[in-house]
Amino acid sequence: MGATKFILGMRDRYFNELYKIFERDPQAIFITADNGAPTLDQFARDFPDRFINVGIAEQQLIGMACGMAFEGKKVYVYAIAPFVSLRCYEQVKLDVCAMNLPIVLIGVGAGYAYDIMGPSHHTVEDISIMRALPNLKVYSMADGSSAAELAQVVHQDSSPQYIRFDRAGIPEVYASRPIAIEDGLTQLRQGKDVCIIATGVMVHTALAAADILRQTSNLNVGVIDAFRIKPMNAELLKQYLHNVDRVVTLEEHLLAGGLGSAIAELLIDHDVRIPTMRIGQNDRFVFEYGGRNAIWEKYGLDVGAVTSRIVKWVRGESAGAPDAPAQTPQSEPHSARY
Amino acid sequence: MKTASSSTASPRSKSTGAYADLRAKAQWVRKTVLEMAVKAHSGHISTAYSQTELLVALYYGGLLRFDAQNPKWAGRDRFILSKGQGGIGLYPILADLGFFPLSELDNFAGVGNLLGVHAEWNIPGIEVITGSLGHGLPIATGMAEAALLNHEEHLVVCFLGDAELFEGSNWEAAIYAGHRGYRNLVCIVDRNGQGVLGPTDPADRRLASDNPQLNPVDKKFKAFGFETRVIDGHSYADIVSALKDMRSPKRKKPLMIVANTKKGKGASLMEGQRLWHYRVPDGTDLELTRHDVAQG
Repeated sequence: MGATKFILGMRDRYFNELYKIFERDPQAIFITADNGAPTLDQFARDFPDRFINVGIAEQQLIGMACGMAFEGKKVYVYAIAPFVSLRCYEQVKLDVCAMNLPIVLIGVGAGYAYDIMGPSHHTVEDISIMRALPNLKVYSMADGSSAAELAQVVHQDSSPQYIRFDRAGIPEVYASRPIAIEDGLTQLRQGKDVCIIATGVMVHTALAAADILRQTSNLNVGVIDAFRIKPMNAELLKQYLHNVDRVVTLEEHLLAGGLGSAIAELLIDHDVRIPTMRIGQNDRFVFEYGGRNAIWEKYGLDVGAVTSRIVKWVRGESAGAPDAPAQTPQSEPHSARY
Repeated sequence: MKTASSSTASPRSKSTGAYADLRAKAQWVRKTVLEMAVKAHSGHISTAYSQTELLVALYYGGLLRFDAQNPKWAGRDRFILSKGQGGIGLYPILADLGFFPLSELDNFAGVGNLLGVHAEWNIPGIEVITGSLGHGLPIATGMAEAALLNHEEHLVVCFLGDAELFEGSNWEAAIYAGHRGYRNLVCIVDRNGQGVLGPTDPADRRLASDNPQLNPVDKKFKAFGFETRVIDGHSYADIVSALKDMRSPKRKKPLMIVANTKKGKGASLMEGQRLWHYRVPDGTDLELTRHDVAQG
């Protein structure tokens, strides 16, 4: 029996690049709210004065980062994604964004990455709330190679930034393909019939759906990885959508305010009139177990469901609107279940 | 009607730090705060009055290091007014010292004015945004940590309200400050014993709207690793005595001064009266308050 094989995820690919930056820049500070990573131990070992664990205390995490950033430090803060975004949202708003400080918020566990851990660890609201904050850039990465490329760009950028990473085990997209982080988005496939704009892990779903749609439905489907959700590169996106017949947005995130909303806003604001369908999670919390695939299958985020939705829409068999939000409580009251 | 402008007729004298001078400054600050609030129909007068002697001692008593002509001077003490609603009580001092023109006091919270109800970071002499409570102490720990890393000798002075201590973020910060033993961190709690709806430590909890028990504040911070000192926050002798060794390298812990004060101190109408947290007097109330403040 061999040893457990450990594959570095996007977070750790990023941290390894960040370690090299820390070697060069003595002003770089890392603060964690007692969240670890295999690649973090080297920071604590080699930069003990610049690696801080405040404990599970996210308000302190952000406030302390603010105080240090004021004194000329470039501060990275790290926690599980819901805790570095929702838990300390007011601190992020006032202590980071309103004072426009060079603080990078790193969250791990985007979407349903922490699948069996329940709504406390699901992060399907962060894009909505983080993109609402002035001054804050929002990144949502699809693989380890792009995450590694991101590190230097983020370090050189003095604005507040939020990065959402997935857990380990996500396949590569950019292993043998260049990525221009400054562009904010990448056209991974060209296609005239439909263009799927996806972010994070759903980029992989979009690529698989595009393959299937080409093979089974003779649809020419493009895919765009929107890895910088704010600010969205409107000019490049418009260029890519020129002569595209339909747009699909795809995210493992609530539809309320997420990537689909951002794209819809952009299309309206730029007077780009293309039929658009949003695919994501409806207005609900998820209590189901059995893994991420089980969640995707139940809520229409797996490749089969995405493909089917697109085919029906293109064939005129559906209006393209998402499933109507539940008009009744999504689940029975707790007491009624026993 | 008197305006803030006329109340600023007090000469921009160089206070010698003598208690008589400090008392004169405090009287001028209270008078100016009142007229600013009256003109704007807005402002936290009573909270400004509980902190007056503490701020006057810090700024005129030779305790704080600052350069009004160069507000971002690297060697300044970082003064964080965590109780951001107390801004109205700090602005006259900053203006008097020359951080910004006295004329800014004339149109408090008015169109095009620098100064609003809560302390904002764009005001010379104000370090950070503190309109929402519980932000100052966490930020102060970051500044204290950075000062140690940078081998800088300045202090970080965090000025808190007592009802603000119900915010849990303060205790997150206190855990870390105590753990690190920041001797460059000095905290002062304006212990006026009043929240918005009622007292923080009601002797007999007659009203459901009273605040929860906060005491013993000093013992709580001591348990978190602070050196604590309890003083009369309206006594210059107490304030100066409690802070005179704040730069001493012999100190090994963050310092917490629990300064017992009276909300609305100096205005008989307001002293200890919860209704005056965010209320501006008019008519005979205003006449009485002007009279009280003029008495010093």
